[in-house]
Amino acid sequence: MAITALIIFSWTLIGIAMVVLSAYAVRHYYLAYSRMRIAHPRETNELVGFVMPRITVFIPMHNEERVARDVLQALVDCDYDWELLEVIPVNDRSTDGTRAIVDDFARRYPFIKPYHRAEGSGGKPAALVEATVNASGDIYLMFDADYVPGRAVLKMLTAPFLDPEIGAVMGRVVPHNIGDSLLSGLLSLERSAGYQSVQQARYNLGFTAQFGGTVGGVRAAALRAVGGWNPESLTEDTDLTFALLLNGWRTAYVNRAECYEEVPQDWGVRRRQLSRWVTGHTECLHNYWPDLVRARFLTRGEKWDAIFLLAMYLTAPIIVLGWLASLVLFFVPEAHAVPVLPIAMLIIGYQLFSNQATFLEIGVATLLDGTRLRALLMPLSLLNFFANTGAICNALRKFYWNRFWGSGGDGWYKTHRTRPGSDGQGFGLNQAPTGAARQSLNGLYHANNEGVGD
Amino acid sequence: MLFLVYSVCFLALFYLHFSLAHRAWITIRGKRSSELDMSYVRLEDYFGQSFRRKLKQWLSTLPAASNSTANLRVYHHGQERIFVAPTVQYPSGRVEKELLVAEGAFSCGNNCDFRREVMVHGDCSIGEGTALQALAVDGALSLGEAVTIRRWVDAAGKLSIGADTAISSRATSRTAIEFLPGAYAQSLFAPEISTEGRNDDSPPLSTTIGPVLQIPHRPDDPQTAHHGFDPQKLFSMGGGTYAYEGDLDVTTPLHLRAPLVARGHFSCAKESLLEADLKAHRNITIGPASVVKGNLVCDGDMLLKPDVYFQSILQPEGTMRLSFGVRGLREKLPVAAHATGALTLESNIVINGKVSSAHRVIAISTPLAWLQPNSARA
Repeated sequence: MAITALIIFSWTLIGIAMVVLSAYAVRHYYLAYSRMRIAHPRETNELVGFVMPRITVFIPMHNEERVARDVLQALVDCDYDWELLEVIPVNDRSTDGTRAIVDDFARRYPFIKPYHRAEGSGGKPAALVEATVNASGDIYLMFDADYVPGRAVLKMLTAPFLDPEIGAVMGRVVPHNIGDSLLSGLLSLERSAGYQSVQQARYNLGFTAQFGGTVGGVRAAALRAVGGWNPESLTEDTDLTFALLLNGWRTAYVNRAECYEEVPQDWGVRRRQLSRWVTGHTECLHNYWPDLVRARFLTRGEKWDAIFLLAMYLTAPIIVLGWLASLVLFFVPEAHAVPVLPIAMLIIGYQLFSNQATFLEIGVATLLDGTRLRALLMPLSLLNFFANTGAICNALRKFYWNRFWGSGGDGWYKTHRTRPGSDGQGFGLNQAPTGAARQSLNGLYHANNEGVGD
Repeated sequence: MLFLVYSVCFLALFYLHFSLAHRAWITIRGKRSSELDMSYVRLEDYFGQSFRRKLKQWLSTLPAASNSTANLRVYHHGQERIFVAPTVQYPSGRVEKELLVAEGAFSCGNNCDFRREVMVHGDCSIGEGTALQALAVDGALSLGEAVTIRRWVDAAGKLSIGADTAISSRATSRTAIEFLPGAYAQSLFAPEISTEGRNDDSPPLSTTIGPVLQIPHRPDDPQTAHHGFDPQKLFSMGGGTYAYEGDLDVTTPLHLRAPLVARGHFSCAKESLLEADLKAHRNITIGPASVVKGNLVCDGDMLLKPDVYFQSILQPEGTMRLSFGVRGLREKLPVAAHATGALTLESNIVINGKVSSAHRVIAISTPLAWLQPNSARA
């Protein structure tokens, strides 16, 4: 009797896993296909420079002396009108030389207005809550301290706000340290698929893009309308995306607003980063799913898309449970009484169908980006997959354990920086020279003869 | 022994799955991505400026060829030749395969074919039916009828684009662009863009004072549907922005005072005033002689009826049509109208800024009916 129950239970688990994962696979195929199919993706590139609201750029900093100069100098070199620009480096209780660097820039550039924070709870959301009080812009843009925005990124990120329905905007992050370790190489593929394929496809299809908290921004009025940043959330960006969505605001995605980032180089750092994302995401799922289901502003497709997005980390334990159930059925002789061949064919077919789905997204992204060499790393993504599955399961176990016992979860964890910094010279790439002549007039006519691209 | 052979074969087969990845990783290891151009800034006249800069650099560094004369200097740049002449006049029907630089004026007859770029430091006149690769002019430029520009055209002076002329990419001028019927381009950018039949006399102001609908409505306004507006369908998104559920077809002049998202079609009657941004999930139609101060965005088609005056940005995901007498102008920044579908410009349009389309911008003659007195405002 017990054996029969175990067999039925195992088959049920496998069935659930196959249904859920097939649904996600269909979604992956659909997004990848739609990304390739649409000739003119939804974008505002042609209107860059014509939308010039007053903006405030926040740069949360906690012990960032190695990279602070780079990001501040990059913002100084941006082609946004200084009269309409305010930069607030949020020095969050730094104990290194961050404060001195920030103050030095503030002395030289009047639009840099540092906010020094000496006490209060830690983490980016808490720091942003306080710093926002001092902001005067109509649009708030955010960059992490280790990011170096290109000269046109501010204009690109503000262009979508010409649409009054756009509450937030998200640019694209591009890993710079692709060759530092196998993990960073594999993460570059993951990022590429996440932005070039998935974010752009979802935006093209009319779904809200996901605000990522950096290389992005939010309309000040919309932020106030949803009650500001959520300092309790570990992923204040995801939290904000869905708070905005429930109030009728959309998040735009600007694929061309690219910014380099440093991805984790070792699995320990990656595991902690993933753990924070998993916890924050799943928390948002629990907080928002009832409202999403009832939301008057959303179509049925948008509701499904939002739920799929928030529940994506739950697929990891479902996969593991499916594996365990398969092992049970393999080792229990009584389970072999069923017609093995058709079932085996079904499972093999499912594996072929589902496993290729995410690879297709990566393939589409590398094709569009023209990074074919990196695409060859794809088979090694299996390593990333297994590591991610373990880290996600562990994070979810901790999350539900803490939730069940009512104990506090993990706090904010600052991702370890590996970049040495270059004293305001960017990454040593083709960044415009320091003090480059800013564009004149409306920034639309050629004003200097420095490197320009198209 | 057999087990060992099997094991080795199995491991070799297993490695084969990853061999390409392994080789790729060996190539990538230690490298940093450099695919982003950090110095990129968007410039509307980038093509013309970039070409001028490269040409200037080549001419200042390359020696003139030995077969140069006083009237024609020849430079060799790789496989291509650059001809430099003080002034250039081509008869009709000539085919030119070299890169040309005219230090003075340039003109050509009809049906010529220039296979490479042309740079003109003076004024320039292009005959009917001529085809060019790309053209940069420091003076005024006149393109005759049915000219074909395979890539871009840029002029520092006034650019006149003749009827039925086709420009595959961008047309830019630092002074003004005149865009005649049947001509098309992907985008036009100039301090002033006009179409045929320009008439700067102001349209007569309306003397009729009818009811004006305000959105958001005042507390003392009727709470039942009136003039195509149902207050029950309007709700706040917060932050001073409103959403309207369903189609909003206002049949009386509208005064839009706050940003609005119409979750359906939107249309307003003549002489409306839209002071704030407007988004519609379907089509937008703006009544004649209205004033649009906020941006207009829609997921469908957009139509601005005659004599509309806009001071903002227009962006439909579908097609856009700017009717007879539309004006686009604002202080400090140029205006812009960009459509994902075709953008049609009727007669007597003046826009200070940019018109562009992912498909094409085309000028047409306004049907005669529109030109009858007062019919446009009917």
